[in-house]
Amino acid sequence: MGALDYIWAGVLAVFLGPELFSVFGVPVPVTIVMIFAGFFLGIAVGATPGLAGPIAMAIALPILISIFGYTPDALLPVMGFLIGVMKGATIGGAVPAILFNTPGTPDAYMTTLDGYPMTQKGQAKKALRVAHLSSVTGDTFSDMVLFICAPFLALLVEGYLDLPEKTALLILSLSFIAAVIGGSPAKGLISTGLGLLFAYVGTGEDFYPRLSMDSKVLAQGFPLATAILGVLIVGAVFKELTDLWREKRESGLLAGTIEDSGDQRLHMREIRRLVPYIGRSAVIGTAIGALPGIGSTLAATIGYTVGKARYQRTKSPEAPDFGKGAPEGIAATEAANSSVSGANLIPVLSLGIPGNAAAVFLILAADSIGGFNPGPSVFRFTADAVNPELVIAFGLFTAMLIANLLNWTIGGVFMRSMGIMTRIPKQVLLPTVLLLTLTAIYVQETRMEAIWFTLGFGLLGYVMRVVAISPLPFVIAFILGGKLEESARQAFAATGGDPWFLFTHPIAAVFMALSVGVILLTARNNRVRASRASA
Amino acid sequence: MSHDSRSNLILGICFAAFALLLIFIWIPFDTDTGLIEKVRRQITIGDALAPTVAGIFLLLGGLILILFERNAPDQPEVDPVNLGFMAVVFVLLAASFLVMRYGGPAVVALVNLSRETPLEYRLLRDSAPWKYTGFFFGGTLMIGGLISLVEGRITLRAVLIGIVAVLAMIAVYDLPFDDLLLPPNGDV
Amino acid sequence: MKRLIRLGIAALVSAATATGALAAEWTPPGPIKLLIAFRAGGGADTQARLIAEELENRLGWKFIPEQVTGKGGMNMAAALKDMPNDGTVIGMAVTETFGYNMAAAPKSGMSPADFTGLSTTAGFQMGVVALSSKGWTSFEDVVAAAKGGEELRFGAMSPRLADLAYLLGKAQGVDFNIVSVKGGKAVMDGVNAGDLDLGFMAGIQQKGVAAGDLVNLASALSAPLVQTPDAPTFADLGVEFDSDGQFVFVGPAGMPAEAREALANAIAEVASDENTKAGGLIKKNFGGATVVTGDDLTVLLQNGYESAGKLLDAASE
Repeated sequence: MGALDYIWAGVLAVFLGPELFSVFGVPVPVTIVMIFAGFFLGIAVGATPGLAGPIAMAIALPILISIFGYTPDALLPVMGFLIGVMKGATIGGAVPAILFNTPGTPDAYMTTLDGYPMTQKGQAKKALRVAHLSSVTGDTFSDMVLFICAPFLALLVEGYLDLPEKTALLILSLSFIAAVIGGSPAKGLISTGLGLLFAYVGTGEDFYPRLSMDSKVLAQGFPLATAILGVLIVGAVFKELTDLWREKRESGLLAGTIEDSGDQRLHMREIRRLVPYIGRSAVIGTAIGALPGIGSTLAATIGYTVGKARYQRTKSPEAPDFGKGAPEGIAATEAANSSVSGANLIPVLSLGIPGNAAAVFLILAADSIGGFNPGPSVFRFTADAVNPELVIAFGLFTAMLIANLLNWTIGGVFMRSMGIMTRIPKQVLLPTVLLLTLTAIYVQETRMEAIWFTLGFGLLGYVMRVVAISPLPFVIAFILGGKLEESARQAFAATGGDPWFLFTHPIAAVFMALSVGVILLTARNNRVRASRASA
Repeated sequence: MSHDSRSNLILGICFAAFALLLIFIWIPFDTDTGLIEKVRRQITIGDALAPTVAGIFLLLGGLILILFERNAPDQPEVDPVNLGFMAVVFVLLAASFLVMRYGGPAVVALVNLSRETPLEYRLLRDSAPWKYTGFFFGGTLMIGGLISLVEGRITLRAVLIGIVAVLAMIAVYDLPFDDLLLPPNGDV
Repeated sequence: MKRLIRLGIAALVSAATATGALAAEWTPPGPIKLLIAFRAGGGADTQARLIAEELENRLGWKFIPEQVTGKGGMNMAAALKDMPNDGTVIGMAVTETFGYNMAAAPKSGMSPADFTGLSTTAGFQMGVVALSSKGWTSFEDVVAAAKGGEELRFGAMSPRLADLAYLLGKAQGVDFNIVSVKGGKAVMDGVNAGDLDLGFMAGIQQKGVAAGDLVNLASALSAPLVQTPDAPTFADLGVEFDSDGQFVFVGPAGMPAEAREALANAIAEVASDENTKAGGLIKKNFGGATVVTGDDLTVLLQNGYESAGKLLDAASE
């Protein structure tokens, strides 16, 4: 079989798979239905503050497997559904960030910076349109790169990155985050340090759960969901509640909902202005997504930062700054974080290494069902015997294309219809979001301690906001903390206990130099800015 | 935001002190393996190293705040009135989740007063309507309470919103899925 | 046919209880909490959930699965230990948790005596595996490569396996760089990505070996591997220990005999029935069920605990 035969077989596997029902004699294949279902669920879940794609995937996976069983036939419907959720949640995730200032996922945090100010100015619908356009464009671009490069690029990247390089790359990500986000390197370092510290409680290699103070409650460590949702969502809810209460005490009135005002449409002229931001961010997100182990949050951050630098050089004086409601800010962020998901499947499909939570669930699905073993063997174009895994891989690409088509056509309408939620008064919405978040966490973790942890992290997130420490480095450090320690241990053991493993491998040494450089550079820039401000 | 705020200095001192405490007391006493250790003739990284790195991040951050960013512009000011409000919110949340946790068993104990063979909540945690009792009362208290707190008065409307929201969550999480457990039914 | 017989038996049993003749009949007094020591969605977790699901269908019992992961099953064991022992809380882990791990962590204060063994379901097909593209066809080739000065990275997913890898190297007169990773899947990822040269795999290598991408170089069991019977066992390679182990269901200590028997038989029956989803999964990944129950299981767990001490001593020399 040639390459084209494989692609065609993959397309056919989606369209000619087992049929669910038929409409007027035309069979409707189950995979298509599952992609649709996943897509709509994804938008709804992404748009609901306090919920996110991974939660929906986590709940859906066991159910789907119960329904479809353990045959290779189950792979495309189940993974199609998950891809649908992933794509839907990516555009849906911008909705609560823009409308309520509560990012459902860490990568949507940057979207709040300009999205929410636009909502406050009565430009919510327009902000949503910008988010949708940028997100879908970035996503589609990334998918194209995936389809073209997957077989080559993944093997290439992996070929050059050994364990020491992977460790150095994680360190580079962390120091970049600490230096760049949060305004001050000192506060960035503190936020990062706290995230690492919490990630290390209860974990570790030894049988004694470290830093658990002999308590069973801490022995299992802090579940990822409690830390992320606690600091990002619950912390934001606490801050908003306080502001709302203050407002009421000072004015005696609660602000009503913000009415849409002005032109909400997106004109060709504006789109042309957004295109450079979308383009750059799409390339950045795709490049980052292709590196194993680095997720969309970093992409959003870099996309936003690069966009900001360009914007300050080129914007007209009366246009709002980044962080004050600039559509370009939304475009730069959303294009970057959405373009990660496609490229992220390059290492997932060819090496089995995920870069984000959504990819983790795709791997889990493949792993549980069987018949699809993500690894180098997937992209073997065998000529004599059919390589069924390659057919599945192209089937998945087809599923992604279908989801993109849905995204371009009806995704935007469906996404904006979620705007109805701005009509709900905040003092009603915030407590409801809080209970929904805590319930979702409980359903995953099924122990009351998880709720107490989340409330504790919420308090931490609140305090961090009060003293102007950005919570984002905390979250990223928490996610990467385990990976960092693991890969450092492995690199150390693999090099036979070489204490200088980070510096004796050329690529790793370059990454380390960049890590130090980025911190020094930002610290110097800050000093210059501070002295200018005081002068 | 003001130039006179000393919040960066205070913050820096707190974190530097905490980091020293962490590195020299908490970590050594609460991990079983050191920074590095020797197992199977091979030197490996111990459990204390990673948290120590985290501690160094905190220490560095604290020191930079004290030494270089003490006089930085745009330092936030912390308003004690807001913190007071947060304390009240926390008391309410704690009360709500205690009601959620113990509400079900309490209702069962009440019912048992008029029964010959006593029921046990643990064994009823998967049977309606028992399994909803704690979540219903605790959730309603939380939502109704928070709304009332922000609005500055207790209204029937706030309680009704709480009830509707809690019922909606039961419909989303519990009715379609057999395996999902609402709080507190995984703990009892 | 099997199904018919089972239905017949079920009918007989219910008829018998109706007359009160059969005392062994046991039904759980409430829903059964199933603590799973493996991460959600993985192969082991799926196995546990499918067994629970099949028991719900067959017997009408209600299961509530819950993840308690970490520390090689020790977190699950610690949580299970103090739970009610009336059969309403059981757990699933691997025999290694109650053997090596408890022996290696005396501070945890746990031993197999704190638990009631119910049933094992499947034994690992633990092989020492490498990529075929490495060009090694036997374990001798690995030893030759190591002696030729190549630094070899050996992936292990538990302390016990790391000890075994060390002893294997010692017996063969070579030093491996033993890399501890989290979970068998991570070993396979590492080997596939070239980060590891070889490593332990407990059954997931099956498809890769069949496809010719991976090769079983040795059996880490006391018996040869089903898939590659020619590969030498650890005993052949001069290591007096092996990695024999099974998935096991347990309850807290002191479970009533009828609860223990009813649960154990029900689990064993589902695991051995290849027509169920759970049994099919076990057949696919492990070549079939391995069922040990009752006193045999108590002895198995206790032996594992006691012999672990010797391995620990040997590896720390």
